[in-house]
Amino acid sequence: MTDTRARRPASDGGGQAPRRPGRKLLDALLDLVDQAVVVCDASGVVLWCNGPAAVCFPGLRPGITADPAAAGPLGQAVVASAAAFDAEFLGRRLTGRRNSVRDCSVWLVSDDTEVRRCGAELRAERLRTAFLSEAGRRLGASLHHGRTARSVVELAVPALADAALLVLPPRGGHADWHRCAAPGVAAESGALPASTLERVPQLVRALSDLSPRLAACRPGDLEGLGGATPPDPGPGGESLVTALPGGGGSAGALVLFRAAGTGERPVADSAVVSEFAYRAGTALSAAALYAQQAHTAAVLQAGLDPAPLPEVPGVRLGAAYRPAPEALGFGGDFYEVESEQDGGGGVRFSLGDVCGKGAEAAVLTGHVRQSLRTLALVETRPLRVLDVLNRSLLEADSGRFASLVVGAARPAGRGALDVVLAGGGHPPPLVLRRGGAVEAVDVGGMLVGALPGAEFGQAAVRLARDELILLYSDGVTEARGGPAGAEEYGAERLAHDLAGCAGMPAGAVAERIELRVADWLAGRAHDDIAVLALQSSPPSRLSPGASDALGPPR
Amino acid sequence: MTDVPAVLPEVRAAFDNHLAHADEAGATALALGLLRSGAAAEDILLRLIAPAQAAVGARWVAAEWSVAQEHAATHVSERVVNAVAAAAAGSWHPGSAPARRVVFACVEGERHTLPARIAAEVLRLRGFDVTFLGANVLAPHLLSHIHRQGPDLVCLSCMIPARLPAAHHLVECGRRAGAPVLVGGSGFGPGGVWARTIGADLYASDPAVAAEMLALRWPRPPEAAEPLEHLADEEYFRIVRQRTELLGRLRVHVLERYPWLGDPGSQYAEAVMEDLGRLPDVVAAANYVDDPRVLTDYLSFGAQFLRARGVPTAVLGAALATLSERLRGLPRTAAHLDAGRRWLTAVGLGTCTPDDEAGTTGGPGERAGRDDDRGAGPTGESG
Repeated sequence: MTDTRARRPASDGGGQAPRRPGRKLLDALLDLVDQAVVVCDASGVVLWCNGPAAVCFPGLRPGITADPAAAGPLGQAVVASAAAFDAEFLGRRLTGRRNSVRDCSVWLVSDDTEVRRCGAELRAERLRTAFLSEAGRRLGASLHHGRTARSVVELAVPALADAALLVLPPRGGHADWHRCAAPGVAAESGALPASTLERVPQLVRALSDLSPRLAACRPGDLEGLGGATPPDPGPGGESLVTALPGGGGSAGALVLFRAAGTGERPVADSAVVSEFAYRAGTALSAAALYAQQAHTAAVLQAGLDPAPLPEVPGVRLGAAYRPAPEALGFGGDFYEVESEQDGGGGVRFSLGDVCGKGAEAAVLTGHVRQSLRTLALVETRPLRVLDVLNRSLLEADSGRFASLVVGAARPAGRGALDVVLAGGGHPPPLVLRRGGAVEAVDVGGMLVGALPGAEFGQAAVRLARDELILLYSDGVTEARGGPAGAEEYGAERLAHDLAGCAGMPAGAVAERIELRVADWLAGRAHDDIAVLALQSSPPSRLSPGASDALGPPR
Repeated sequence: MTDVPAVLPEVRAAFDNHLAHADEAGATALALGLLRSGAAAEDILLRLIAPAQAAVGARWVAAEWSVAQEHAATHVSERVVNAVAAAAAGSWHPGSAPARRVVFACVEGERHTLPARIAAEVLRLRGFDVTFLGANVLAPHLLSHIHRQGPDLVCLSCMIPARLPAAHHLVECGRRAGAPVLVGGSGFGPGGVWARTIGADLYASDPAVAAEMLALRWPRPPEAAEPLEHLADEEYFRIVRQRTELLGRLRVHVLERYPWLGDPGSQYAEAVMEDLGRLPDVVAAANYVDDPRVLTDYLSFGAQFLRARGVPTAVLGAALATLSERLRGLPRTAAHLDAGRRWLTAVGLGTCTPDDEAGTTGGPGERAGRDDDRGAGPTGESG
């Protein structure tokens, strides 16, 4: 193309083609081209240039030498006999390319100022979007308040600042802070007395502000914060404070420290900072709310979870408990074992199942367990206990009832254990005899809390040494699974698996039964499952001193 | 870790003896005696209890011990870990910095808690603030713990490769909640190869190594993980959907050939059928991480397990053939099953080739007879 154009003046000069454009027309045509066109001879003298060339290089005219003084980067390229240049000149970004036509150099120079600006803006915009989406992802990931606070300061460095300090609203006379002191450094945290905040008015404002406004602090303003203060940004640096607006008020104040001359931060314009402040504030206030509610739930649940089994000489205990998975730990099954206070060395125990599952059922298990504990103080006859409990549940009028086995076990000498049971509406406990025979103990009785005047049953068994009694809830026998996926685990399979546990300690038996049911379920949904095993506890088969006698390790 | 006192062979033998008799009191007294006489708690955990427990597992595989014995011994080991951890609790030396919070969990369906429990106690002894969530942890449980406690690290244990899809679920759950995930356990394969596949941040071959890795460099906050591209072919989900049907088929075919395995009175019949019943999950897991070694790993275990119980190992080939027939339309799975059969052939157990299976028109009795003849060779009764 350049060849063609270059040829034209020559052929025009020959005058052989009257219809070809004249010199003036050609000049006008070349003025329409976006690029600057400059033609120099071999010594660098400008022979010809178009209109755009005069805009890019105001000092350039035909007849003068294209030197650096007249033509900036073009002149430098001509002097250096370079083939191209890419440089800033008089506020424009110019890129030039040299073409040789006969013994002339034809320079085509583009003004890329706008393209470069758009490119830079696009990159900056992408960085902003990437930063905010990363911030959204990390702030949304965790509902843990401390973790969210850490994420806030770690995200702010280095994207928004060289160091960042988050001060949380004071509570109980103290304000917690989180700080990221340098890029890539793990966040630190601490607490400072709320009174020290008063010395920094910008912080006080940010902790009560509902919109993120960047306020500059003077050097020294933040010194009152003591150990929380990150390193001084140094001369020329700045410290900016913004509120992090949360749901019901400011969720914290973020201080951004920027040292002088740390280069441009395309991400850190005020729109991005305020967007980040909104996101951080929302995440922090959601996490604070969650923490409160989770704490409440955890306290309530701790009161409803089965208590650890007591250590009772002469009785060995084992239990397993698996609430329905969707209930997040709340269950309608319960068991409880307490050592007898009469010095006889036995235990009182109960295992029950309140209809329904989840938190609603768990509340009633609390009622039942508390009632049983209280009744045990005034009444030892189990049938009488169940009768009073029945009336109490009916009066509570919750529309819920329970199946229940209560009982007591006490050592009967020579390794035997006497067990008495009473209950209503509950699957029959199983006794594992020495040698592997399994017997069901029919306790009988009606559901507790269903009907006024309900009748309850009782039974007694003697366990020889190593024999065991297993109490379980119907979540065990009614677990649906197996090879076909919908078959009940069932009493027969339970008895069969229990028979395989002969000789095992009670704890292992409870675990084993739960494991068998879990295998049967193979991950399917299930009701609450509770298992309690009792057996008499033989002393260690080796004399207690035997292991110490082996001496210290080498 | 210099001048580490090794556990004396006679101490170990005494401990094994307590385990064999499910003697919790004796085993506990022995371990606490060692602690009192100056042994490090970590050494008792890693050099006494862990190897003793590995031996318990091996005795069960070799059918030297019944399931009940194995279970009772494991229970005792767990109680001893409790006792050692409680006794050593006073001897921790917390540094000046607040301890890093770590939560331990065994993946869904994983019942082998002891290795994870020991690992948790080792990290606790080394000054970490540890929570142990126990066996069979489901994603909602882990997630609610992360939101409540904000751990700095999630540690997952998986002892059987069949649970890798569940492990992946928990890895994603931890990482999406902003906690890096360290995994360990034999379920992640040789050198932890499948730990990388499912996007874990770190893999450690044992608890001491884990502690040293963490002391060296704490993992960065997790970035979003790449999805497992090979799952786009939906094969995994199709196997899972067919699980019940595959199990039924497998059962019918195996019982056609080895009718005695259906006899409830037969000593190992139930255990053997249960073990074979894991095969569909194993095939699904191999598909999930796209590696036939998940299957060959199972076959290698299965061959030992069956041989020790006097069952012809040819049953493995027969089981693979049954699954091949049902999963013919799934190319990746078919390739894995082929690799499984090639492995059986290579180790001399390939008595039932796919060609036999496809080509024969004989009835089940005829085929069963032929397999029994061939299967009798490599099989021996356990002692």
